[in-house]
Amino acid sequence: MRLIKTLSIFLLILIFISGSNGLLFPKDIIKIGSAISFTGKHSRSGKLYIDSYNLAVEMINKKGGVKVGNKNYDLKIIYYDDKSDAMESSKLVDKLISNDKVDFLLGPYSSGITIPDSLIARRFRIPMIEGGGASGKIFNKGNKYIFGLLPPAGEYFKSTLEFLKTLKPVPGSIAILYADDKFDLSVGEGTKKIAEKMGFKIVIFEKYSEGQTDFTSVLTKIKMKNPEIILVGGHTEEALNITQQVKELNINPKMLSLTVGPSEADFRKALGKDAEYIYGVASWSTQMNFKGAIFKDTKEFISVFKKKFGYDPDYHNAAGVACVVVLKNAIEKAGSLNREKVRSNISATSLDTIYGKIRFSPNGQIQGTSIVLQILDNQVFEVFPNTNKKAIYPMPAWKKRK
Amino acid sequence: MTLQILINGILKGGLYGLMALGMSLIWGVMNIINIAHGAFIMIGSYVTFFLFNSFGIDPFLSLVFSVPVLFFLGFIVQKHIINMVIRAEIFITLILAFGIEIFINNTALLIFTADVRKVKVAYGASNFSFFGATIPYVRLIAFGFAILITIFLFILMSRTKLGRAIRATSQDLEGARLVGIKVSRIYAITFGIGTALAGAAGTLWAIIFPVTPTMGGGLTLKSFVVTIIGGLGTMLGPVIGGLTLGIIEAFGTNWFGTTFESLISFTILVIILIFMPKGILKSKKE
Repeated sequence: MRLIKTLSIFLLILIFISGSNGLLFPKDIIKIGSAISFTGKHSRSGKLYIDSYNLAVEMINKKGGVKVGNKNYDLKIIYYDDKSDAMESSKLVDKLISNDKVDFLLGPYSSGITIPDSLIARRFRIPMIEGGGASGKIFNKGNKYIFGLLPPAGEYFKSTLEFLKTLKPVPGSIAILYADDKFDLSVGEGTKKIAEKMGFKIVIFEKYSEGQTDFTSVLTKIKMKNPEIILVGGHTEEALNITQQVKELNINPKMLSLTVGPSEADFRKALGKDAEYIYGVASWSTQMNFKGAIFKDTKEFISVFKKKFGYDPDYHNAAGVACVVVLKNAIEKAGSLNREKVRSNISATSLDTIYGKIRFSPNGQIQGTSIVLQILDNQVFEVFPNTNKKAIYPMPAWKKRK
Repeated sequence: MTLQILINGILKGGLYGLMALGMSLIWGVMNIINIAHGAFIMIGSYVTFFLFNSFGIDPFLSLVFSVPVLFFLGFIVQKHIINMVIRAEIFITLILAFGIEIFINNTALLIFTADVRKVKVAYGASNFSFFGATIPYVRLIAFGFAILITIFLFILMSRTKLGRAIRATSQDLEGARLVGIKVSRIYAITFGIGTALAGAAGTLWAIIFPVTPTMGGGLTLKSFVVTIIGGLGTMLGPVIGGLTLGIIEAFGTNWFGTTFESLISFTILVIILIFMPKGILKSKKE
């Protein structure tokens, strides 16, 4: 009996606490939820989004918050660590919606995690804006509640291939290496299709298991065929391993380009001098300058960001900030927190941000393409289509570098 | 090309051999399949990463630290935990080892978080040419250490009193007791040597590949396969098994594609179990 009594008192206290929790939250807060990778294999990239989400929310709240009708709301993000695990992430999104009663959702990092998360968003009819997943598989499910700010994965290397066409002589042989996750499958297959259409010869087209550490086997094959260009669709850790092992085996392509990695400050820090001359792709770069919505322009964003976090922002960061800005804009346009109204306003977005002009295709993915980057003097420069710095092509051989 | 693949395979195979050596020793002497072996390798890797990152100690030099730390850890684990069920069926010790693995992995996740770390040495990717093939220095040195450590263990087991006591315990328990060998102590030392070898393997692994708290599972499986392929109860078994697996994997992934690495190792395991159930070395003798 005593046990039951204690238990019921305990329960009462629990109810009281959780009830008053609602009182502690004043009504003028818009709760946004995100289950994102604080730890695990995606933690490096996940952090880029977390930093940007936080910065955007801080800026918006500082400038008076989100105006809905005559009332100003502050934004507040509730985070959970999905440990880079898709199952975990979708469970946490469910929890954000059911327990934390969030109003809107921001996306996780990586396509593989965004797909299940976006399906949860659809089930509860809550709009989710993401800047971390670009696979076509996110957007071909007729899901009206997911919006993505990265250009289609299949076209990631399109600008790179166009760049190669401008060279004299045009390089003949390409090796494509890609991870077997959803996003990179789209990258690999899309790149192959476009490259063949443009008349390039693909000598190696091979995928590897996501998270693989040893690439010597496939790199030996690449060394033997000696392609002029190596294009890699993978993640930061794999990009680090591949670059190091390309050097270990003394493979000297004229261009080594990786989707994820080169644009990140961490990549350059981890590889040091070996990162030099490596090419990358991105939907955005720090040399671009756009008028912004919460920042004056891209330049201001970069200086504020650098001061706060101590590293150079890259396209992940810019996309992350843009996610929050798009959401704010849509809520204000809708003039209410009604999710359906906000959703249709996101869909109709036409907004200048530091990430560029944002418009969505009917499937929810942003309209736009990627640019070609190169690491020169330990900095990332856009080399195509705009030439912020002249590309160094071919890359100097490893042994000929100082 | 063929030479390059062969070299890739041999260099990796040496590391596989060292990884499996500790597991094979514990299995052979105590009849315990140490599922936690990969977890001990992981701890060895983190010792190296920690020493390198915090004190700038050269990763190869950190062998001096990772080996004693892991020996001590293994000694304690055997003496105070596994010893309680040492006479039970193999299934019980297997489950206990599994529990230890879960415990170590989750503690590591709490302490180190799931982030991937890398030991970034300045000489990381330097290499030299050898008859048209390229050999990375780091992998070659790691291979050299793996072989040296194996030889060292071989001498320890065959020439010293301790080694003879360990072998006696493994061959005839009653007999060993009769001549005055303290079996529980020998068991603890053997387990310690096994985990110390895991620590050494972890150090060498950390120099070449990135380190995460969950990397142990895959390495346990690799060690298991190598141990079976090489055959139990010999010092040479794991080396032969490691090199066999390394070379076959290198050629296999080259022919079939990189995604098939695990498929290749387990196919070899099944084939060996069917045709040479006692491993390459043992089956040849019969």
